[in-house]
Amino acid sequence: MLRVTQVTKKFGELTAVNNLSFEVAQGQVFGIAGPNGAGKSTVYNLITGLYDFEGSISFKDQNISGMTPHCIARLGIARTFQIPQTFPSLTVAKTVEVGSYFGSQTGFDRGHVNEVLAFVNLADKREAPTGSLNLLDKKMLMIGAALATRPEILMLDEPMAGSNSKEILRLMDLIRRINQDLGVTIILIEHFMKVLTELTQKLLIIETGTEICCGDPREVTSDPRVIECYLGDSHD
Amino acid sequence: MIFEIADVIISGLINGSVYALMAVGLTLIYGVSRAFNFAYGSFYSLGGYIAFLLFGLSFINSYFLVFLLAAPILLLFGFFVEKALVAPLRKRDDWEIKVMMITLGLALLLDNAYQVIFGARMKSLPPFLGGAFEAGDFYLSHQDVGIFFLSIGGILVFRWFLNNTRTGMSVRAVAQNPAGAQIVGIPKEFVFAATFAISTVMVGMGGILLAQKYFITPMGGWDILVKAWVITAFGGMGSIRGGLYAAFIVGMLEAFVGWYFGMTWTLIVLFAVLLTTLAVRPQGLMGKWG
Repeated sequence: MLRVTQVTKKFGELTAVNNLSFEVAQGQVFGIAGPNGAGKSTVYNLITGLYDFEGSISFKDQNISGMTPHCIARLGIARTFQIPQTFPSLTVAKTVEVGSYFGSQTGFDRGHVNEVLAFVNLADKREAPTGSLNLLDKKMLMIGAALATRPEILMLDEPMAGSNSKEILRLMDLIRRINQDLGVTIILIEHFMKVLTELTQKLLIIETGTEICCGDPREVTSDPRVIECYLGDSHD
Repeated sequence: MIFEIADVIISGLINGSVYALMAVGLTLIYGVSRAFNFAYGSFYSLGGYIAFLLFGLSFINSYFLVFLLAAPILLLFGFFVEKALVAPLRKRDDWEIKVMMITLGLALLLDNAYQVIFGARMKSLPPFLGGAFEAGDFYLSHQDVGIFFLSIGGILVFRWFLNNTRTGMSVRAVAQNPAGAQIVGIPKEFVFAATFAISTVMVGMGGILLAQKYFITPMGGWDILVKAWVITAFGGMGSIRGGLYAAFIVGMLEAFVGWYFGMTWTLIVLFAVLLTTLAVRPQGLMGKWG
């Protein structure tokens, strides 16, 4: 469904992503992990058209390299950011409506907006200003705005960051429902290995923009190269 | 004395309302795209000259028709300028400085073009409305009342547009969070161009309204640019609400200083306001989009 082929991104002298290739299948929950500064969010920025790059990215066999972010969103690739990118003066309902107005190929649908608000458990806060929400609700809201675009792929950037264990369980449940009930393919950047091994079917580990290994999450997390990458070299 | 003060207050309110219309446009561009348009004053003159040309046509006999025809001309002009001159610079380093320089160049080009096409002598427009309200020493022209209500009406239409239309929603979203707006499908580049075009209409309409009182000259826009900049900085760069408050404060201040000390003092006081604001509260009255 999504194919990233030999993608490289340089910022001046720094190579943030180095000749990276991977494929995400339809209906899959695909995980991306790696230490801080590994280039995970940069990969998201490349897929969503925020940066130009070398190599190619295709979605459903259509080359999306060089497309503008709003065109990519309208094709069916939605994302969230690690820090929820809300619109502080808009209400919860208006924020979700923005996604439906601009990102959905089928056009604005108030019924769908209401369904999305209920799906992310924000129906009772629909008239609340976005700025008044707590962090978890802000995350839920921006997932809702992304879902309102009727995406085929939803890319979540460290959704568990800053959450307590109860909130993590709620977010995990939401991600499962998005994948299983709505049939949306998920790409998930996350640091929590437990979350990745429970949710994902395939896991890619990168370091300094280069692939370390990719495959079944349980095998990947026990790979010595991944352990070294996370814990450092052992001198025992 | 009471009638004199009433006159000054009314004058401050009328000028403040037109300044508000124009300053909101300038702060809108900055709030949405972080670009500062140095040609803004020349767009003010453009509005006046377009009205002057339209009144020269035999079938144009009312301000209603002038506004109706001038608005789309200004809208298209603003959209074209943004797409042709400003948008290509956004991908470069230090694009904000480059936008300032290119709009400064555009201002000089336009002002000299006005001089070549229309000559250096000032042009006038017919009064918007004749007659006046009179009571003893009190005098209030219908034209001033009309200018006030048209300016306020323009601001209210703009407010309605921001809150109730699809494009208005996209403008608010881009102003508050450009990255977030793009990934929910909002075409940021179109919003930048639309914002620039809308602000061109606002200042151009201001130019038509004030040209009835202060005439049109090739270099007349610089005074407006300075005032709009003072108001924008005073109200808070990018804050529409701050710009509205600041416009009426500046309009009133200008009227009282002109009445008490003479008109030559007004710009000095405005610059003092600007310097004090930047020194004491650099973020302005509001400091952000509001």
